[in-house]
Amino acid sequence: MAIVKLQNVTYKYPLTDTPVLSNINLDVKEGEFVAIVGPNGAGKSTLCYTLAGFIPHFFKGELEGRVEVAGVELKSSALNEWVRNVGLAFQNPFNQISGAKYTVFEEIAFGLENQGVPREEMNQRVEEALTMTGIRDLADRSPYSLSGGQQQRVALTSILVMRPKVLVLDEPTSQMDPIGTREVFAVIRRMAEDGMTVIMAEHKVEWIAEFADRVVALKDGKILLQGPPSDVLTSRLLSENGFGISRYTSAARESLKMNLWPKHLHLPITLQEAVDGFGGKK
Amino acid sequence: MHERLSFYVKRDSFLHRLNPLTKLTLVFGLVFVAFFSPWYWTPQTIFLIAIIPLSFLGRVYREYFGAAFRLILPATGFLFLMQAFFQPIGTVAIFKFWFLDITAESLAFAFANASRIFVMVSSFTLLLLTTHPSDLMSDLTRRGLPSQFAYVIISTIQIIPQMQAKAQTIIAAQRSRGLDTQGSYLKRIGALVPLVGPLVFGSLVEVEERAIAIEARGFTSTRVKTSLREIPDTGLDKTIRWFFILLVIAAIAARIWL
Amino acid sequence: MKLFDSIKKDFSTITWVLMVVAIAINVVMGEIVVLLKLPIYLDSIGTVLVAITCGPWAGALTGALSNTIWGLLIDPNALPWWPVAMFIGFVAGWCAIGGLFKSWWKVVIAGFLIALTAATVSTPIAVYIYGGITASGSSFITAYLLQTGQGVLQAVFSTNFLVEPVDKISTSLLAFAIVQGLSGRFLARFPRPENVEVDKTAGRTQVLIAIGIVIVLVLIAAFVLTNILTK
Repeated sequence: MAIVKLQNVTYKYPLTDTPVLSNINLDVKEGEFVAIVGPNGAGKSTLCYTLAGFIPHFFKGELEGRVEVAGVELKSSALNEWVRNVGLAFQNPFNQISGAKYTVFEEIAFGLENQGVPREEMNQRVEEALTMTGIRDLADRSPYSLSGGQQQRVALTSILVMRPKVLVLDEPTSQMDPIGTREVFAVIRRMAEDGMTVIMAEHKVEWIAEFADRVVALKDGKILLQGPPSDVLTSRLLSENGFGISRYTSAARESLKMNLWPKHLHLPITLQEAVDGFGGKK
Repeated sequence: MHERLSFYVKRDSFLHRLNPLTKLTLVFGLVFVAFFSPWYWTPQTIFLIAIIPLSFLGRVYREYFGAAFRLILPATGFLFLMQAFFQPIGTVAIFKFWFLDITAESLAFAFANASRIFVMVSSFTLLLLTTHPSDLMSDLTRRGLPSQFAYVIISTIQIIPQMQAKAQTIIAAQRSRGLDTQGSYLKRIGALVPLVGPLVFGSLVEVEERAIAIEARGFTSTRVKTSLREIPDTGLDKTIRWFFILLVIAAIAARIWL
Repeated sequence: MKLFDSIKKDFSTITWVLMVVAIAINVVMGEIVVLLKLPIYLDSIGTVLVAITCGPWAGALTGALSNTIWGLLIDPNALPWWPVAMFIGFVAGWCAIGGLFKSWWKVVIAGFLIALTAATVSTPIAVYIYGGITASGSSFITAYLLQTGQGVLQAVFSTNFLVEPVDKISTSLLAFAIVQGLSGRFLARFPRPENVEVDKTAGRTQVLIAIGIVIVLVLIAAFVLTNILTK
């Protein structure tokens, strides 16, 4: 059962003529993890903002087509109700800290306070969220004293605690160093294992291969290709259209031409797959 | 290094345990009495019988006296001198310095005025030393202050040190590129642009994302908001509040009728 | 109801976020001018920015909160002056709605109006709380005027009227310059982007007119000053 439905979605920012999204048709099932890939300017962020409801309500502009989450249509919803169903986290962790709270614990509770959740339930849910995302040790720290990776994990926890039906992530590790990236993906892994419906725009192809059930390749506002990661991320169509692909894939593709990669195996995306393939594992 | 822009000192004391609104009432009460009371020696009396004891009741006497000597006294002292020399009241000069003179009347006036300001600043200092900003805002919000106000006040308090740090970085960077911040008048005016530009534009660009972030956290939710922090309000609190309200009314009445 | 709607229009989520950044800009700008030893405050720059992009009510609130936070955390001497900051934001907002932030010379006029407001509102505060002499350097001017036998209200107002325009016109021009540097798409997010749609007349002409107005104002100020001194 599709919890997210996009039908013929086309969008133009205000004062512009070229649509940034053209005729997007996309269904996402409950519990599915969909990754959006694409070169810069493909419309990944625009798609994320549309799913999160900020297009059209915050950004204005012309939105055509139908956007539906959990049976509710976007254009006839108010943004403050839409955000209850769809959570959003984006690249810059610093900008996601409200600033209105002095400790991480309270920062996470901020969204629940706004929603009018009773105090006891708030305490319980924040505790659960802290444990689930593994940041219990940060609970009493000031959000502004944290590293980028820690701040991003707090941001994710702050959204998760609100129990959205769908979680939209716009390149959550773009501004992280390698340690931060690992920390953030650890949290994302927990969410995926928990059965959360996730739509994530990402560049880091190797990580996508690990989480995604499906990959949607976006270019110039249109869906070029979609399918399982092992198909899409190794597809020639992607490498020909300026998408970043895993270096292991490129290495294996070249090796294939020289008969150094087993013909019957899928091209690898991650290091492990490459090692297995080159190492002769069946 | 401005790490925290806050006077608050975490301690367990009578004042700390009082409800924030009570403390606010207390402070405004002292200030209004100091300004409205017709009796000349009011501010000094308040200092002796209210400010000093309160600093002990709040177990913040060390911090208060530190602040009083370092910050409050110099500021009010300067004001005192300005007023003593420049208020053109009285005719007989009791002290002459160059072309400036002090009369008995201007001295009395300056002392009264500076004392009032001193009491005002001291009262607010005590409030800030014993009240956590989050508690104050939570309590006021519970009583009807729009939650957006609490957001703005606390966020601003937290973001100012960040912005000061950013400014320091920009100043250092521009200086290393040869920016002259100490040269001629014209040079200093010109220095304004390469300093202000990056700071202001860099901060304004963030505004959009920050708005999206808090919107995603239900900032504009129309539901009744709840509060994580529980702030107690006792009978003693209410009594103290009423006491100070009556005190202010008495002071105003005294001024009108005496 | 119309007034309530007018107030409501000023405040969207982005207004509240801008207010936070604007107050911080007020504080840091105030510190930068001290560093550069310039004879202006520029500590209302953030307030004016909010006023022109969001409206007079948002501007007024920004001024009031800015002053309060400044007074509570940096310099308590600033506390009694919050009505001044509030009116600066309020008047700047109405100037913007009236289209005064659309070209350089109009901005100078706006700055002058804001200065007049600041001078007017700060006079009673200076007189009734401080007896006319405050802890700022401009009080030397007030003292001199008092020596010449002027009434307190008049002396204080004259002082303010001389001191404010430089700061407020500079602030308004700086605010205008900043807004000019922002993209139309960004400004569209705020409640009143129409306030800052720039007139399409030649930039050079505008600057010349602006300089002309400044000269006129300086002449007026000199005329007023000589009148005050020779009275």
